[in-house]
This record gives sequence, structure tokens and C-alpha cells, in this order.
Amino acid sequence: MLTLILRRLIQLPLILLAIYTITLFLAWKVPGSPLDKGEGRQPPPEVREAMLRQYKLDSFWSFYWSYLDSATGVKFARESLDGSAAAQAEAAQGAGRPAPVRRVFDLGPSLTDGDWRVNEIIGASLPVSMALGIASIIMALAIGIPIGVIGAIRPNSFLDLSTLMLALIGISLPSFVIGTALLMVFAVAIPIVPVGFYNPRLALLGAFTLSLPIGAYIARLTRLGMIDVMGADFIRTARAKGVSERRVMLRHALKNAALPVVSYIGPATAAAMTGSFVVERVFNIAGMGQHFVSAVANKDLFLIIGVVMTYSTILISLNLVVDVLYRWIDPRIA
Amino acid sequence: MWKLLVPVGVLVALLIGAVLADRPFPRAEFVYIERADINTIDPHKMSWSHDLRMAGMIHECLVRSDVFSEDLRKVGGMAESWQLSPDELTWTFKIRASAKWSNGEPVLASDFVYSWRRGMLPDAAGDYTAMFQLIKGAKGFYEWRENAQRDFATASGGRSRPVDAEALWAQTQKKFDELVQVKALDDRTLQIGLERPTPYFLEILAYEIMAPVYPKLVDQYQSIDPVTGMVRYDSGWTKPGIIVSNGPFQLVSWRYKREMRLERNPFYWNQGAISVDSIALPSVIDGNAAVLAFQTGAADWVSDVNMPFKGELLERREAYLDKHAPLVRSLKAEGLDRVEIDRRLPFDEALCVQPMPTFGTYFLNFNCSDRLSDGRVNPFADARVRRAFAISFDKENIARNVRRGGEPAAPTLIPPRSIPGYTGPAGPSSAPDPGAIATARRLMAEAGYPDGKGFISVEFLFNKEGGHDVIAQAIKRDWEQNLGVSVRLDQRDLKTFRNELKTANYMISRAGWFGDYTDPLTFLDLHRTGDGNNDRKYSSPRFDALLDQAANERDPTKRFAILSEAERLIVEEDCPIAPVFHYVQIYLFNPHKLSGITPHVRQKQQLYLIDILGDKKGREVPLQMKPALVPSETPPALPPPMPAPATTNRSAPTASHSRSRRHRPARATRGRAC
Repeated sequence: MLTLILRRLIQLPLILLAIYTITLFLAWKVPGSPLDKGEGRQPPPEVREAMLRQYKLDSFWSFYWSYLDSATGVKFARESLDGSAAAQAEAAQGAGRPAPVRRVFDLGPSLTDGDWRVNEIIGASLPVSMALGIASIIMALAIGIPIGVIGAIRPNSFLDLSTLMLALIGISLPSFVIGTALLMVFAVAIPIVPVGFYNPRLALLGAFTLSLPIGAYIARLTRLGMIDVMGADFIRTARAKGVSERRVMLRHALKNAALPVVSYIGPATAAAMTGSFVVERVFNIAGMGQHFVSAVANKDLFLIIGVVMTYSTILISLNLVVDVLYRWIDPRIA
Repeated sequence: MWKLLVPVGVLVALLIGAVLADRPFPRAEFVYIERADINTIDPHKMSWSHDLRMAGMIHECLVRSDVFSEDLRKVGGMAESWQLSPDELTWTFKIRASAKWSNGEPVLASDFVYSWRRGMLPDAAGDYTAMFQLIKGAKGFYEWRENAQRDFATASGGRSRPVDAEALWAQTQKKFDELVQVKALDDRTLQIGLERPTPYFLEILAYEIMAPVYPKLVDQYQSIDPVTGMVRYDSGWTKPGIIVSNGPFQLVSWRYKREMRLERNPFYWNQGAISVDSIALPSVIDGNAAVLAFQTGAADWVSDVNMPFKGELLERREAYLDKHAPLVRSLKAEGLDRVEIDRRLPFDEALCVQPMPTFGTYFLNFNCSDRLSDGRVNPFADARVRRAFAISFDKENIARNVRRGGEPAAPTLIPPRSIPGYTGPAGPSSAPDPGAIATARRLMAEAGYPDGKGFISVEFLFNKEGGHDVIAQAIKRDWEQNLGVSVRLDQRDLKTFRNELKTANYMISRAGWFGDYTDPLTFLDLHRTGDGNNDRKYSSPRFDALLDQAANERDPTKRFAILSEAERLIVEEDCPIAPVFHYVQIYLFNPHKLSGITPHVRQKQQLYLIDILGDKKGREVPLQMKPALVPSETPPALPPPMPAPATTNRSAPTASHSRSRRHRPARATRGRAC
């Protein structure tokens, strides 16, 4: 177990480096300049040039290395060790100013929202997205597992087919349709949820929307997993021993069906936690999902890389958690 | 089995923690919604109108525009009085003794010097650095700094030189004092020298970009890059709890993409003008949600309804006004402004839809370069071709049937009656009659394309979203029908669109422009040869000469006449652009409940004047438009008799034409005025 965790932790930075390189390369190729506004007065050319220099946007490689340098904390460590930070602080104090603000892991400024740094943006929106994601995963489990079990008890029965159909609808309907429909019902027709801006009840409705496709998928996984093991020897043995049907189902069959669900939950949680553009927009939730779209549209390089790297880190970590859970739930997997 | 429940239990616990930690605020007294989130509240970095509007509450300039006067006359902000030297080159401002920062410290003349130095540096990366260059020496200082910095960066070659960088910064400050004519004569007296007489200078001073920042705080968030010698600005000082500002309101909370919240600044000098204690600006991305928020009472003002159903909203309003036509007519005859008229009508929801004219125009760009980016000869380099295209599509049809937002078709670039004293040219007719089409065809034939024969396939560039596609289709149909050319529509995302404009990689494109200050130049200077915003690459020595001539003209009437001729050149003769319509923004607010939103054409809202009517707090008497001191249609002549504490200035648009006379702006600005 320990070797597994260690091995994965060593792999993590390498994978992240690869993702960083590919993302930056693609984002760099997006047409247009991050400094240009779509409309309105444009900055004078000298100012533009100064900004390009300041953000190292004038060449791919200088941006590549300087971002790595400051985002990984290498720059902070280096400047602390070689005394240049101290020299800078001293020079500033000599001129009667306080030492400059220093950050260990500096993900850079947002090029569109001038008053915010990417660290602050992720710090503000990730918790919101995580809460939304966690809530939706819990709902998805609560919806998916019972439906799956019901289906597995009597495969191909009317109940099974109708739940299966519901699941299919849940997977195929896009969330903006479900979201808007829910809003129409719970905000307009029966006004129990206030519309407009952020509100816990509204967020809960958003979590529900987000949970439907995940829940539907869990239902299918549970059903298939249980049907698979229903004919297995240990189930027959259990029944032969006179174990109650309920106990057979929940104790023996469901436990075995749980493994594919657990392995699906990892990436699903990562996806749900890093936000959904559509759900965030429909329910006006200030999560991270919107940045994936808006940052690319604005070619806000720092923000693009910031959100992609956050997503990747969470995804890789959750996969590790799932692997550990696997071994813990079923010690036979070594 | 229990093992499966453990991870679920952990998740539930996390969720409960998250919900408990995240409680929304109670409703603010005034809640409003903008179409986009605030980008920055740093006055030197901003350029979006919603940012500027926010800045008008958090910061305060030397002077303010009285948005409830037709001529937007200037009243005292931080300054209590000001005077202009007889040669119109030196302004002297007296800062009021009661002017305070939100920490109780007095606002000093030197704070303005500090702030403007920050604003005019190339390091500030502001879109409006050029505005400071009206001040004597600012341009020279800017260029000096630019060169010094380049030399420094080259000399360091990537090495860190903190001591030298600080020395460069010290030298820069000294250079500023030496070159730039902004001086703090004492704590409360600020003297500004100008490059040349600038009749709209007070208007510039009222622009939020010119607001002061608190030097002691901003200095702490500023560092000198030891490699490039540039000043690095950290945005940390703009955060609630840290920011020190001088406006009527202060920032108490700013949650990213969620909500901004302001509360009354107890140290603001003019408490009488403020009628609400808290203001919230929640972030609402979806236009439908914004309308719903207003309808359910969660928001008091929506600044821009841009939904497909806005046409229906407007029709409902018109129908209601028609029903009360006699009453509306008699109220109009009383000289009441439009919001006040709505206030006197019996309440109906239809009255909450408020179409407001703006200081902005939707137009088409023609690429005027000799060659297209692919090397082909550009037929639009010929003014006759541009004119033919400009006069042969139906603007009325677009405004009435395509946009359906109550926008007027635009014969000219500058919205009519938006600048007191300025009368623009007539412009070509908005709905082409057979005569205009015949002229267009003749022009095409003269240019060598009879009936459009031999004309290259025209590419019409516009950006996605915003409904430009339907407008483009209507124009394409008109051109194909009237000129016999073939038009291809080219739709791009905003970034690519902007890039194509910048590199002049287009033939015709859509464009839009909103004026910044109340002077024709704010619309005209973007057509000057080589201007950074001249996407058309239009270059006319005649036009440039007119602008130069206007710059040196000290008689405001003559100056406006010259600028009007310049506008005529671009909308009637040379046609680097073809105006389509003047923007109208649809507001949602209840005039029976809310006061403080002005219907002025220039559309500059000062939200600190907001008053919720009927809450027994504040003025409780709605603000109404005051007529201009000089009738806005006629050029300024002799001054009419002045109402009481008003200024001694002679004419619109600003108080700048009076010479060496003291201006005492109305005290307690609009606080008790009504």
C-alpha cells in the first residue's frame, strides 16, 4: 500500500508537467492576444509592449520557464536562499517603502480581472465547486444505488425496465435542460427557491441537476455488477445456507457490485468538484467551471493554466484515493 | 458494508461544514445588477463602464458632473473651488477642508500628484494613460520613462539589480517633479498646467480615472522589478478591509463572481447626498436570471436588459403610455423629465421598463488600407466605394425590425443632443430612397464597378453573440440588391475578431463606440492617422488638420463648428465608417420606488444619489432633471441669468471658459437641492 502511494506521488509531478506543457502549448496557439479587449478603447502600444514584457508574454519559452519558476515555489526558494529577496527588501526599505509582497506558489495575475490573482480566484471558487460536487455525489449515490439494487433483484421486470429508462433519460438529457426545467418548477411555478443570485437552496437544486447523470450511471453500474455476481458460487452457497434474501442482496451481492461504482466515483467526483459550466450558469453559482470556458475565450493564460492544473491535481489525487479505498474495501486486491 | 459508508460520511461532514461556513449576507438597501462583473476598482486600470460606475461610488475626483443637469455642469467633489488663469493654461484647485479618506485622514493636494504620477506611467498599463497627456510635460515624462526603462532592461540583461532599480525609480520621481506641471502648492491647493487650452478639461477631471488613490496604502503594494526596473503593481490594496478610499461609499465585501457590497463611508464630506446605507452588486451572468431577480424584488435596478424578449417589454410599456396619452402630454408640457413623468402616472409594471439613450453608436468599419492583408488591391481604399456602401443599406429597418430595442437609426457618429452646444452634420438619410441608391450606383460606376461588375466578393466580419449576425444579414441583403455585389458573412469569436481588426485583416466589419467624456473628440480622435483605436487605418490629412485646428481654437463655438466639419467628413464624404444606430440600454427599475437614476442622454449614473422612496430615509423627494444653463441646441452665446448659488461660468459644456473667476459650486451638491 505504502509503495503504491509513494510511487503515485513520484509520478504526480511528472504527469502535471506533461499536462502543463500541452495545455500551455494549446492555449498559446489560441488566436488573439490576452491583452486585447474585445471592445472599447485599446491600451496605447507602449503600454501593451510593457505589459507583454512584464508578463513574459513575448515568447513562449520565457513564459514557460518563468511560470514554472514562480508557480512551483522554486523562485521563492531561490530568492530566499541567494539573498536577492533580502537585497530587494533592503533596497525598498532604503527608499522608504515596505518590502515587496512575496508569494510562495504564485500562479500569476488574472489578465481579465485585474484585481484578482489566480491563487485568489481558485481559492474563492474551488470551495464552492467542491461543496457543489460533494453534494451532487452524495445525491447521486442516494439515487443510483437503490435504483440499481431494485433493478438487479428482478432483472427485466417492469420495475427494472422503467428504472433503466429513467437512468437512460438522466444520462442523455443535457443539464441545461434539466436545470432550466427544475428552475421553472421550483422557482417559477412553485416559488420555493429564490432566483437571481447565490443562495443555498438554489445551489442545492444545482447539485441535484449535476447529480442526475452521475446517479443514472451509478444505477447502471450497480445493477450490472449485481446481476454479474448473482449467479456466482458464493451467492448460491449463501442461499443454500439459508441466508435471507435481503442479506444475500445487500451483504454479498452489493458489496461485490460496489467495486466498479467506487472506481467510477473517483473521476466523477473530480469532475463534479471542479465545476460544471452549464449548471453554474443556470443556477448562478460562483464555482470553477465557468473559468474553463471564460478563461479560454479571453485567452487569460494564467487562469487557463491555473484551473487546468487544479483540475488535474484533483483528478490524479482522487484516483489515488480510489485505489487506496479499493484495497481497503477488498483486501484481496494487492 | 460499514466500510463503504465511511467515505460517504466524510463527504457529508465536509458538505455540512461548507454550508455552515458560507452564509449569504442580508439584503442590501439598494441592489443592482450589471451585465458583467467588475474587473477592477483601481482607477488607473479601469476602462469598462460598469467599473467606472462602481468607481464613482468608491472614489471621488476633484469635480463631479451633476448628472441631473442637462448640461452636466460640474460641481465640487474633492475640490471646493477652482479657477482658470486668463491664458487658459493653468488651473488652480482648492481642496475642501472636509475632504477625508475613509480612515479619517485628510485628502491632500499631494495625494493627487501621487495618483496622477501613478496613472500616467507606462508601467501602470492603463488604457487611459493618454488622458493624462493633456497636462503639460506629461507626454515628455511618459516618453522619458519609456526610454529609461528600456535602457535599464537592456543593461541588466536578465540580472537582478535591486539597488540600481530603486535609483531609477528615485530618478523617475525627480523627473516627474521637474517635467510635469502638477504641483501641490500647499496641502489644499493643487495647480495644474496644460499643454494647450483645453475646454473639456473639467470634464476629464470628473472622469473616474482621475480619482486619487491613498498613497500610503498603494505604496505598500508596489515594488520595483529588480530586472526590468518597472514598477509592479500588486492588486492587494483593492480588497475589502484593506482599501482606503475617498468616495461616498466604501467596499466592505468582495467575493469573486458572487457579490460586492458597499457601505456608507462615514468620513465622506457630503453625507446629505447619501440616502442609502448599503449597496450590493451581486454577480449574475445569465440575463434571464437578472430579469427574474428584478421581478421577484431581489434587485432594484438592472442596468442592461439584453434578452430576446426586450422588444415585447418595450411594446408593453408603449401600450401603457398610449393608454395614458393625454396625461403624459400634459406632464411633458410641464417640462418634466421622462422618469418623473413615469413617476406621476398610476403605477403599472410596464413602467419599470426604462429604455435609456446612451452615449454610444453602432457602426460599420471600412478597411481604408491600399491593399488587403492577402496582397489584393483593396477596393474600399476608394472613398467613392465606401460612400456607396454607406448610403445603400436601410438603417431604419435594422433599428426598427431587427434590433427592436427602441434604438434610433444613426445618420451620424455622435448621438444627437448628447453634447450641449454641439450640432453635428445631417448625415446621409437612414432609409435609402431611390435617389440615394441611384447615387450609390453612380459612385460605384465612377469607381469602375458599374452594377457591381468586377467587384471582389465582399467579406463582412463580425463577432459571435450580441445579435450581430441578424444585422449583418439585413445589410448583406440590401447591398446585394442595391449594388449588385456579393457579400459573404464572416463570423468570429471576439478575440479573433479583435485580432483581425488590429491587423486590418478584413474588408468591412461591425464596430461600436461609447464616448468617455462630453466632447466630440471622444468620438473623433479614433479616426486620426495612426491612432491606436483607428481600426480602419483611415488617414486623411484634411481630417487630421481639422482636429489640430480645433485643438488650437479657443472660441468654443468656432471649435465645435470645426469638429462638426470633421464629423461631416467621416460620415458624409470619406466614410471610413457607416453609422447604423445609436445604442439604447434598457433599464429595469421602479420609478415609483427608486430615485437617483438620471435619464440624461450622456447616461452617466452616479449611484451614490440613489434613494429608495418610501423608506423614510434620506431625501425622499425624487431628483429631477434641471435644464441646461445654456440651451443645448444653440451654440453658446451670452450667459443667461444664473440661478442662485450656481457658478459664474459663462457657457456649456464645462465651466472652463470663464477666466480667472472663482467657481463656487453649489454646496451640499444635490443633498438638499430638491
